[in-house]
Amino acid sequence: MKPDSVVIKPIPSRFKHQVPKYKVTRSDACINCGMCAKSCPYGVHERIEGHNKMRPPIDYKCIGYECRKNDEFYCVYRCPRKALSLSLNPMYDALGDCRWTSDMIVATWIMAETGYPPERTDLGYNLGNSGGGFDKLRLKFPENPAKVNREEISTAIRLNRRADGRADVVISTPVYGGGMSFGSVSLATMLSKARNAKIWNTFTCTGEGGYPEMLYPYDDHVITQVATGLFGVREETIQRVKIVEFKYAQGAKPGLGGHLLGTKNTESVARMREAVQGTPLFSPFPFHSVYSIEDHKKHIDWIKQMNPKALVSVKVSTPNDVDMVAVGSYYAGAHIIHIDGGYGGTGAAPDIAKKNIAMPIEYAIPKVHNFLRDEGARDVVTLIASGGIRTAHDLVKAICLGADGAVIGTAEMVALECVRCGNCESGRGCARGIASTDSELADLFNDDWATQRLTNLYHAWNYQLVDILQRMGMKSVTELVGRTDLLEHVDYS
Amino acid sequence: MPKKYHIEINPTPLDLKLVAKFKITRGENCINCGKCTKVCIYEAHKRSEADIRKIAEPYMVACKNCFRCIQECPRGALVKSLDPEFQALGGPYWKPDMFLSIWKQAEDGKVPVSGAGYRGPFTGPGFDGMWTDMSEIVRPTRDGIHGREYISTAVELGRKLNHLEFDASGALVSKVFDVVNVPIPIILDIPSSELITPNIKQAIVAAAKKIDSFVILPAENITDDVQKNMQHIIPLMSAEQVLFHAELIRHARVIAIDYSDALLKNFCSIRESVRNLSPALVIVRIPASSGIEERVVELVRAGVEIVQIAADYCGMEVPGGRYIKDVIRAVHLRLVDERVRDEISIIASGGIAMAEHVPKACICGADLTAVGLPLLIALGALVYQEPEKKIVMPEGIDTVPVAIARQRIVNLMGAWHSQILEMMGAMGIREARRLRGETGRAIFFDEIDKDIFGKLFQNQEAASV
Repeated sequence: MKPDSVVIKPIPSRFKHQVPKYKVTRSDACINCGMCAKSCPYGVHERIEGHNKMRPPIDYKCIGYECRKNDEFYCVYRCPRKALSLSLNPMYDALGDCRWTSDMIVATWIMAETGYPPERTDLGYNLGNSGGGFDKLRLKFPENPAKVNREEISTAIRLNRRADGRADVVISTPVYGGGMSFGSVSLATMLSKARNAKIWNTFTCTGEGGYPEMLYPYDDHVITQVATGLFGVREETIQRVKIVEFKYAQGAKPGLGGHLLGTKNTESVARMREAVQGTPLFSPFPFHSVYSIEDHKKHIDWIKQMNPKALVSVKVSTPNDVDMVAVGSYYAGAHIIHIDGGYGGTGAAPDIAKKNIAMPIEYAIPKVHNFLRDEGARDVVTLIASGGIRTAHDLVKAICLGADGAVIGTAEMVALECVRCGNCESGRGCARGIASTDSELADLFNDDWATQRLTNLYHAWNYQLVDILQRMGMKSVTELVGRTDLLEHVDYS
Repeated sequence: MPKKYHIEINPTPLDLKLVAKFKITRGENCINCGKCTKVCIYEAHKRSEADIRKIAEPYMVACKNCFRCIQECPRGALVKSLDPEFQALGGPYWKPDMFLSIWKQAEDGKVPVSGAGYRGPFTGPGFDGMWTDMSEIVRPTRDGIHGREYISTAVELGRKLNHLEFDASGALVSKVFDVVNVPIPIILDIPSSELITPNIKQAIVAAAKKIDSFVILPAENITDDVQKNMQHIIPLMSAEQVLFHAELIRHARVIAIDYSDALLKNFCSIRESVRNLSPALVIVRIPASSGIEERVVELVRAGVEIVQIAADYCGMEVPGGRYIKDVIRAVHLRLVDERVRDEISIIASGGIAMAEHVPKACICGADLTAVGLPLLIALGALVYQEPEKKIVMPEGIDTVPVAIARQRIVNLMGAWHSQILEMMGAMGIREARRLRGETGRAIFFDEIDKDIFGKLFQNQEAASV
């Protein structure tokens, strides 16, 4: 169920045109009779008042082949001269890739715009085309599920399961926003993530790089990160928040340090990070004060001492021994184990690391879940998965494999109209103004627009999640955890 | 601290007709308003210099696919698509994106970096079916707390002893074999020699020297202009030609001989005649084909100290159909079983297309790799797999100055070296020599998928019945 603070409002794209899936071609046989303009309810065809000629068709408004059933207005059939034809638009192939297909990107845009999953039936958005992992898993729905009303279904999860007197944090939807540092994304992006986290009663994360003042009103919904460079970490920032996250590694670049170029270390970034402006900043790998679980515990104790209410989350990537690391973190006192898979997002990482280092999250989740369970620790720790959770279906599959919830990053960026071109860091930064602090580019949208887009996306996911739980006959998302019997794998069935 | 191995990179653009990934066409309804020139931050759209009222053809090499011009054109007059010329490049193994990556590395010598997550398939055949491991908190195999400046990529060519033996007085009685050090687990391997113009040959030899490695060159192609660098050239010849090339062998540190049945039979005497000419080590170059494990064991027994296992240009065994990754693994494990692994060095070659293939080949059991086609791609070559293998050298390649061609190859190797360091650093392995056969630092798709998904989902039906 969504919290009362969630209000869904349609919020249109910032751009005049969308990327079209179809191409409507008008041949020379057209006599400009205007029949198509009169009949098409989607506005593909247009003739400006007083003009003789039809305007070129507006491809992106066309709903494609499913329009065939609309005898009364399908333009291809209705055109008296048979001058119109419909085909797939080659432009669509330039968008997306096999992990984030063009359909998935467009559907995410629609969700951010409307707050609901697309009504169109021609977008295959629940599955990517990567040929493995989530894309080979399918949900299995029971034939006669228990009858449950949508209103009865809870999507809330508890993050503190230790009963240790620390904050009893419950989030309303089993998803929160990933760490994106000050400087790596625009202020509007960062602020909108926090505003949305408050609206959805969930969290966002500062990433490594400090805690900007503009986030103070959202303290209860901000996770602050302690990463290997300790940039921007102060007693005061630790004491602000309900959750502190130790970042050991990031899925997209496990085992590699971070590097902020000198040119990106502007005056404000330097102030936030307590560094000298213009010098390159390195976040080393590994944590140079942590070489054992005992060292790790020392750090967790330090945080706990400094903030007696805060929960501690430990973010690790997914090496072969991720299960041991998870159990070790539990014994060291962590409330949340956050595992970040190899195919996760990033503002910048070597291509060789993204593709090759550490395992995909799909394997790590059951590995960690089972190991924690065998250790008798599964019920007292929260397991959060990230790194390639693209859709509500991925979220459900991750939970069925053993996670309690997920962290998302790329999906939020796509809601803000990211096209995943991958140039977040090059030159002036993101051409679409999402991950740029360039004075001109960062002003391409404001945080009101962005907040509503994110709120809508979270709603669409939550809506799909509730749908799935209803079809499973479940009243709470917590019933789904570890239910691999509700999944099937196309290679093994 | 000993002097660090370092490959000096230097930005070296090459004025080539580059293939761009995308194509944008401007429709007739363009009103030349110039919106596209304002929204594009990469300067792909500019006004025409010849006629300022018009917009010039888009400069697609600059396009980074941000879609802003497409989405903001007031008339919707711009249409984008994947460039068919780009899509036709390479094939199933040499994926079009590899060319862009190699070109960029040859130009700037840097590790390719990008934003957003990985965008390729979940897994794939050959090297794509494995991931390398890393450790963050619990690191049983980490070599202490050193940074990457202490990582060594050096490997040795030649036979190693399992252990040393001493006599009662403590004097060494084992004969220690000669080895040749290579500071990076890569040697260059000139492919299709008919495409190599003299300047390119000189450039590749000079690059081998610059990175302090070797280049394998057919003996008959070792012309006077490159002979001054014999220290970095491995002349390749047939067993029958050994005496004919005596002069080259005298100046070489390592030579290579093509495998043949006659070679195997007479190896002892052939090796002896080489030894009479010089202390050079001998590589036996053998194509990867089914049953190769057996032949390599025979070679070791015959006294061969280095073997180059050459798959085809797509990393395939012919005939046999295994990927080089699996061939090397099989050979390595066979030699381990026979307890002779240290008596021979293995060079894996064929299909080594990206930096990641080098440490992956080593993990599968190779000591080092040999790289061919990427050297030509660095110089602008286009490779087509279909309908049949075709390599097209760029026009005017024969006039490219040696220094520029050399630096582009050096840049590519520099970028690869940095990437090998990244992967080794993540793995916690400080010596490239220790990568060999270290499958514990890798995750193989076949194994993990069965181990995790297989156990969860296989026979699920049967269990529920």
